Amino acid sequence: MYFEEALRVLVANKMRTFLTTIGLIIGVFAVISIEVLGHSMAGSISETLGALADNSFVVFPGSFQGNFERAAMRLSDLSNIVATVPNVATAVPIGGQRELVRYAHNVGRFTLSSDSNPPFANLPLAYGSYLSDDDIANARDVGVISWRAYQRLFPAGGDPTGESIYAGTHRYVVVGVLAEPRRGVLNVNFGGDVSIPYTTYVREFVHGDRIFAARFTVRDSSTIPQTEVAVIKRIRELRQVAKDVTYQTFDKAAFTGGVNSIFTAVTIVVALIGAVSLIVAGIGVMNIMLVSINERTREIGTRKAIGARRGQILWQFLIEAALLSSFGCFVGMALGLIAGGTINNVYIVKLTGYTAAPPYLQAFLITIAFAAIVTFAFGLYPAFRAASLDPIEALRYE
Amino acid sequence: MSSALALDLAQITKTYKSGSLEVPALQGVDLRVERGEYVAIMGPSGSGKSTMMNIIGCLDRPTTGSYHLDGEDVSRLDDNALATIRLRKLGFVFQGFNLLARTDALKNVALPLFYAGIGARERDRRAMATLQEVGLADRARHKPSELSGGQQQRVAIARALVNDPAVLLADEPTGNLDTRTSADIMSLFDALHAGGRTIIMVTHDESIARNARRIVRLLDGRIVADDAVAGDRSFTSF
Repeated sequence: MYFEEALRVLVANKMRTFLTTIGLIIGVFAVISIEVLGHSMAGSISETLGALADNSFVVFPGSFQGNFERAAMRLSDLSNIVATVPNVATAVPIGGQRELVRYAHNVGRFTLSSDSNPPFANLPLAYGSYLSDDDIANARDVGVISWRAYQRLFPAGGDPTGESIYAGTHRYVVVGVLAEPRRGVLNVNFGGDVSIPYTTYVREFVHGDRIFAARFTVRDSSTIPQTEVAVIKRIRELRQVAKDVTYQTFDKAAFTGGVNSIFTAVTIVVALIGAVSLIVAGIGVMNIMLVSINERTREIGTRKAIGARRGQILWQFLIEAALLSSFGCFVGMALGLIAGGTINNVYIVKLTGYTAAPPYLQAFLITIAFAAIVTFAFGLYPAFRAASLDPIEALRYE
Repeated sequence: MSSALALDLAQITKTYKSGSLEVPALQGVDLRVERGEYVAIMGPSGSGKSTMMNIIGCLDRPTTGSYHLDGEDVSRLDDNALATIRLRKLGFVFQGFNLLARTDALKNVALPLFYAGIGARERDRRAMATLQEVGLADRARHKPSELSGGQQQRVAIARALVNDPAVLLADEPTGNLDTRTSADIMSLFDALHAGGRTIIMVTHDESIARNARRIVRLLDGRIVADDAVAGDRSFTSF
């Protein structure tokens, strides 16, 4: 009955109802569409980051200019660190070398990079296998190539494992091909184009003992930050560098943390947009409720004379406010889901291949919360005013 | 106190305060109305008849004095308790009908039953029976705008009767109607009276008032006359 009457009032004033709810529609629309997009982006990024090993970190000099000669680690430092720093299990050099790579008549310029087992990023394979411990121990001339390199060097397709490719004068046997990567919103490529055993890399490319960077694996991943500090301290002792020389680290947790802080910022912005539109729209709802109550003063007086109690009048107008705000909020939600979903399809899915169901439950809860807050924060006062009207005054009202 | 009394007002005063100024609207009114009586309250504007109406209708409380409605002391009840009394014991008929515009006749009549917490099916059944009583059963699904003034007032009367009130209270019930329709409404009141209803009608129209069996005249907040209408079984409460 309350619901029926409230609906009748809102339908009778279609234009007014619509105009009042525009603020709510826009507010919920903005929040929900950003929510849908953010959900998809975050999912795609965490999928990208999920490939990173979480038991290792990389250390490299903070500056590559001027001090690099002094700051650069030596190959011999690595075994020293494994021996002296607790929790460090292995240490391997990291390096990359641009080379002209050739298979038959197909040529491309690719980076040969040192790799170890387990690899830094667990990427899926299209063909073959990863480098084996045996390949690394014996410094074999083998390599795992990226999808990009595979496409350039083997345009005819097919399984290339066992084929030989040439980088300069070196010959490497292909043992595996990484699957075509999902590019992800971040568009980072954690695998090299041609990954060869770090032992092979050291033999062929590291001259004079200097290495560019090193990757350390740990026994206990929960103390990576402390281990990083200890490793850098040890490097400084071994290199005896001045205070102005710095070292930097890169690990999954730090990277994920950086990405998460971006998303926290986005969430705060969305919340602010939501709060502002909530207030603006709520004031609109309150205003129209006050107008409606003013127009219906005599009706309220009649209802009271007939025997309606305060609570019954309050309830009637509260339901009207609830219906009004729910209407706006759910229209906004529907538009937000449509818009967010469309942008997601034409942009994120196409770009990254990441397809996850939109956060329907979250969207629904946000919408319900919006409607409830507007109803109670901005509908209660008008309803209370209606309920408090003096029936004699109200009946006399023209 | 006789249980046969519908209304028993004893030494009712009502004073309105306007700043430091006190305006006496009623200055000691005694009025007893038995069950089944049909009383008109008359008086020029400013005589206190609206105030009297509001107090009888439990919309307002007297400043001093006691008021028993249907045997119950209602002179000191709070707002919600008064609302319940209005719901159970009073039926209001207004000059301007005061029907809900977007709601059909049946739902208008059923409104008090809704506030009384009666279920939808029973509401409709009783509202329909009451519409039948006022001769408008065939207009149950019409909105007020689709009804004539006289029909609208009949709907309003049905709404006032649907809770089977102890007293039917009508404030200028023919004020918005033409003479012929007024006569129509007055004959409905006659029929209700004949059926045993207690009716209190406030009017400034002498010819309308003469339809009642008893006329109480107010002037300056006091009852100045209380007479049985000539040609009828005479009765006074004194």
